[in-house]
Amino acid sequence: MIKLLKNLMKSPMFVVGIAIFILSLLIAIFGPVFYNVDINARDIVAGPYAPSSSEHLLGTDHLGRDYVSLLIAGLRSSLYVGLIAGIIATTIGVFIGLFGGFRGGWIDEVLNMGTNLFIVIPQFVILVLISSAVKEGRSLTLIGLIIGLTSWSWSARSVRAQASSLRSRDHIALAKMNGDGNLKILIKHVLPYLLSYVFMVFIMQVSSGILSEASISMIGLGPLDSTSLGIILNQAKDNGALSDSIWIAFLPATLVITLTVFALYLINTSMEGVFNPRLRK
Amino acid sequence: MSDVVLEVDHLSLHYLSRFGEKFHAVRDVSFTVSKGEVLGIAGESGCGKSTLVSGLMGMCIPPLHVTSGDVRINGESLMNRSVEDVRANVLAQKISMIPQGAFNTLNPVRKIKDSAADVFYAHQKAGQRLSRAEINDRIFDRFDELGMETKRILNSYPIQLTAGERQRSVIGISTLLNPEIVIADEPTSALDVSTQKEVITMIFDLLNKGIFSSMIFITHELPLLYHVADDIAIMYKGQFVERGTSEQIVKNPQHDYTKMLMKAMVRCDYVK
Amino acid sequence: MLKQYPTLRYVLQKGFWYFLTFIVAIAINFALPRLGENNPVDIVMGKAAQGLSPEEAMQKKETLLKAFGMAELDDQGKVIYDTIPEVDANGKAVLDENSKQKMVPQPRLSSGISQFFVYVKNVFHGDFGLSYSQYPKPVIEIIKESLPWTLLIQAPTIILGWIFGNLLGAFAAYKRGIFDKVFFPVAMFLNGIPYFVFGMLLVALFSVTLGWFPAMNAYGMDVIPGFNWAFFKSVGYFYVLPFFSCFPILLSGQATGMRSMAIYELGTDYMKYAKWLGLREGKIISYVFRNAMLPQLTGLAQSLGAMVGGALITEMIFSYPGLGMAMLTAIQQNDYATIQGCTLMISTCVLLANFLVDILIAVFDPRVKAGLQMGGK
Repeated sequence: MIKLLKNLMKSPMFVVGIAIFILSLLIAIFGPVFYNVDINARDIVAGPYAPSSSEHLLGTDHLGRDYVSLLIAGLRSSLYVGLIAGIIATTIGVFIGLFGGFRGGWIDEVLNMGTNLFIVIPQFVILVLISSAVKEGRSLTLIGLIIGLTSWSWSARSVRAQASSLRSRDHIALAKMNGDGNLKILIKHVLPYLLSYVFMVFIMQVSSGILSEASISMIGLGPLDSTSLGIILNQAKDNGALSDSIWIAFLPATLVITLTVFALYLINTSMEGVFNPRLRK
Repeated sequence: MSDVVLEVDHLSLHYLSRFGEKFHAVRDVSFTVSKGEVLGIAGESGCGKSTLVSGLMGMCIPPLHVTSGDVRINGESLMNRSVEDVRANVLAQKISMIPQGAFNTLNPVRKIKDSAADVFYAHQKAGQRLSRAEINDRIFDRFDELGMETKRILNSYPIQLTAGERQRSVIGISTLLNPEIVIADEPTSALDVSTQKEVITMIFDLLNKGIFSSMIFITHELPLLYHVADDIAIMYKGQFVERGTSEQIVKNPQHDYTKMLMKAMVRCDYVK
Repeated sequence: MLKQYPTLRYVLQKGFWYFLTFIVAIAINFALPRLGENNPVDIVMGKAAQGLSPEEAMQKKETLLKAFGMAELDDQGKVIYDTIPEVDANGKAVLDENSKQKMVPQPRLSSGISQFFVYVKNVFHGDFGLSYSQYPKPVIEIIKESLPWTLLIQAPTIILGWIFGNLLGAFAAYKRGIFDKVFFPVAMFLNGIPYFVFGMLLVALFSVTLGWFPAMNAYGMDVIPGFNWAFFKSVGYFYVLPFFSCFPILLSGQATGMRSMAIYELGTDYMKYAKWLGLREGKIISYVFRNAMLPQLTGLAQSLGAMVGGALITEMIFSYPGLGMAMLTAIQQNDYATIQGCTLMISTCVLLANFLVDILIAVFDPRVKAGLQMGGK
């Protein structure tokens, strides 16, 4: 484990990725401690779209709310949604993929068909349908839940491929001959081999969760109980920031999303480089 | 010694890493192979066998470089020639190679006859081009001659054939242009025992028919070499440590490494 | 009999599978909106009943129920009414002047299954119901107006992005060196950006700061939509930013995929063997490209959904009058029928595109012709 980490730390991609990600986590968690401006407070004196000042580092939004504290709150929500969606999607995907890929036979066929269904039917469509159906109760947690429940197909597919390639390995045949139950084999012999892979899947699911939340908020179906980066963008767009050339209202938020997602992407790619030769062996 | 086909003269090869470090994979190897001779080369993986093969075929493409020495086929040197020259005039025509019988030696999306035709197309000379029909005739004739189920095999994709059929097709394709010398690099290592025998029989059938005249047979299985090779050379850490007739090497090894190799074998007198 | 025509069998099999998937998509489209406690008619009625007399409201409800295929009809196609006790907003029974339970007529709702069949039947007849926000405009009209714009944005970006991305990726894999070292990190950075974010960045730079391109709409206010040169010119001019907010990301996604596929292919045993046999370099490269292209096609089929979703949101950034924009408007006005119509249309298009890609795989993978492999998926 420590050796793995050492190997990873040698990759500049990984170091940059993890640094950006940890920084964004720290800002999301401890940001309010250092920069404590109430996001609901409207600064009437400074007014809407106030320029940067000592009071408001990046100025204010269309309602006169402090932009930096909105960004911090938005980042916090985005990471929260991403993690919830990531955990749910990875769990479902790993379970279905592992079970189907390992068992084979008709169970695998059925699970695979279901997975393919969800790959082909756009996730975006399902997200829109559900989010617009649940109107009042659309909380941040619920959005994360919905995203997680609709985005697992991709993980299931790739885990299945890995699991079915493992199925024919010697040590698993040996365990079967020893009379070990399927569940025991899965947990003791299959999962450890896939652990690094599952972690990579998780990272990608988190980043796609963050993006999905931003997309769904962007079209006005975002959470009603919190501010997220997507909501900031949505409000900037709806209040004419794009057409009125008020770039400060949307540029920082876009950069925060891009950097966070890019950091996860870097981590994933660098891990692939380190783990894959081992997987292929 | 007038009928020497392949002559390797103090050949040394090295890899050049990105940081300018040299790694010497083949050191000062000299040997000859005469017409009709089968030379066996034995050594464990990583001893430089595969690198030597690249050198013998004149395919020294960076990061592989020639340190010194020469390789001559029928007296014609392969060194200091352009990659294109070697490709067009040497490969498959003078010297050809039979790779490991792995699953993936043939392009999975091409039929066997198309992969075979590629060899002809690759070596067409201006003024003597063959039509596809002529090429097909030649391929079919050759596979008939080798006693294969010609029609079915040539019209199949690799995935439709058994491992043995695939490897025999590979051998047929490698020798289509009647090369002087063939290098067989572990041609049976990925096959099961009965198929191994089939493949070996086929290779020697080709040799006896005079489709090619000499062969270098590379493997880590000494017992196999004992039966197929006239002479055996033992390669260790990039060098030839010992060369002699099969009898000498197996019955009376001189070098410590050869002795060790012999000891590692369970028994070396298994049935041919 | 089909054994003699493996390609046909493959296409039929795929077609059947997509048909089943289409039915599932319809079912999802039908069921999800009903997950909430409200049925679609009640959602619409909430607003529609304002300012109407009870009779008018009942009339309206009947029309809506019929339109949504939710009412139980008698032989003459009339809505069947049940007489039920009336309840007030608190769920307490309303009493009439004789202190007896007041009874009111209430349309009888058909069962979920039969509602579904009506829905499926309507869908196959191109009947997506009536838009509420633009009542009584049929949803199919809205779709007809916006679909061409969506296709105009998506088809070229996806097709061109795929083709050029693959060429670029193969070239990078083959050349390596400096080109690859510059190309790869840039492509990776682009990969991580969602279309709409990239679109906003483009707007910030080229529209807001430089003022080169318009940030909104699909054509200028000063031209009349129709078959005239001024209109086409305007459309082309307005097309630039939306196109380039999707194209580079799509391109780099395909290119990084192709790059690693091609590097893998270059290292396979059969490519090495081809080199040993003295095949020309150009020939080997063409094999590499062809072989790497097949998984890339499969990859395209799998990512179409995500691409389309992303591009729809891009439409919203640019107020481009396609399906995405129609859906956004519908969402803002709680126009349920239109949302549903748009989502179903999107699913249908993605399924069709997937089917098309699978047919392409059958064309390019000779093994399908030989009846060997089911390609795709």
